[in-house]
Amino acid sequence: MNKEQFLKTLNSDLKRLPSNEREDIIRDFEEHFLIGFKEGNSEEEISEALGSPKQVAKELLATYHLEKANESGKTREVLHATWAILGLGLLNLILVLGPFILLTGIMVASWTLGIAFIISPLLVVINEMVNPGTLQSFFLFFSIMLSGVGFFIVVGMKLTTSIVIRGFIKYLKFNMNIVKGGYKNE
Amino acid sequence: MNIQFKKGALELCILALLNKQDRYGYELVQQVSKHIEISEGSVYPLLRRLTKEEYFTTYLQESTEGPPRKYYRLTDKGRENLHQLIKEWEEFTEGVNQIIKGGVSDE
Repeated sequence: MNKEQFLKTLNSDLKRLPSNEREDIIRDFEEHFLIGFKEGNSEEEISEALGSPKQVAKELLATYHLEKANESGKTREVLHATWAILGLGLLNLILVLGPFILLTGIMVASWTLGIAFIISPLLVVINEMVNPGTLQSFFLFFSIMLSGVGFFIVVGMKLTTSIVIRGFIKYLKFNMNIVKGGYKNE
Repeated sequence: MNIQFKKGALELCILALLNKQDRYGYELVQQVSKHIEISEGSVYPLLRRLTKEEYFTTYLQESTEGPPRKYYRLTDKGRENLHQLIKEWEEFTEGVNQIIKGGVSDE
């Protein structure tokens, strides 16, 4: 692979980055090629030592998405970052996917429970409309109580979710720092 | 194996290389790869990350040969992190050495 092919692959793999950031990265590698060339290495030798531009791009993207997730704390950004880190290598896949599935499962289940509780009086009313005459006041009172409980669950989950997301971002960062890929023997 | 060890070690190496003098990217890559087998390209994402974490500042300096070079300079925050990492590294290698000594001498 020569310089042009290396930079082209890198550039196209980084197209999701803001253009100023991408240009900055390309400039760093251009500088690397130029100095290496001056020192008497061929473009092919330099790019061989640099390794795969695809792997370099993956690491840069993962760092970028993680940073965005960290800034905004938005679920969408966290998913982006998780996805980018999963692609880095097998070890990241193992270390990130398990906790991710577990946490997502717990979060989705708790939210569903809270929301189901909140709308339970509505379900009782719908049931009465579909099967008239089966309504017992006990069901209605019970469902209104559940609705109250559901309200507390949802409020609690709002808080918990943002704490869990913060914690998960920290865990992703830790992963980036410890097991980021790009080594020859990986 | 040793991916994890190397990864943490790479950050430590880069910080240590910048402790006494500012260096440019190519120079850093060469200094590291002289001693440790790495994919040289992975140094640049690390440099960007550490710059964003404010461990370095960067500046461009004209070179007598060729284009200006981007130099990295260690900040106080970076130096603090370096000393922290050195401490952790020493504790870690000390622990591993103890285990090796115990394991091998018992044979």
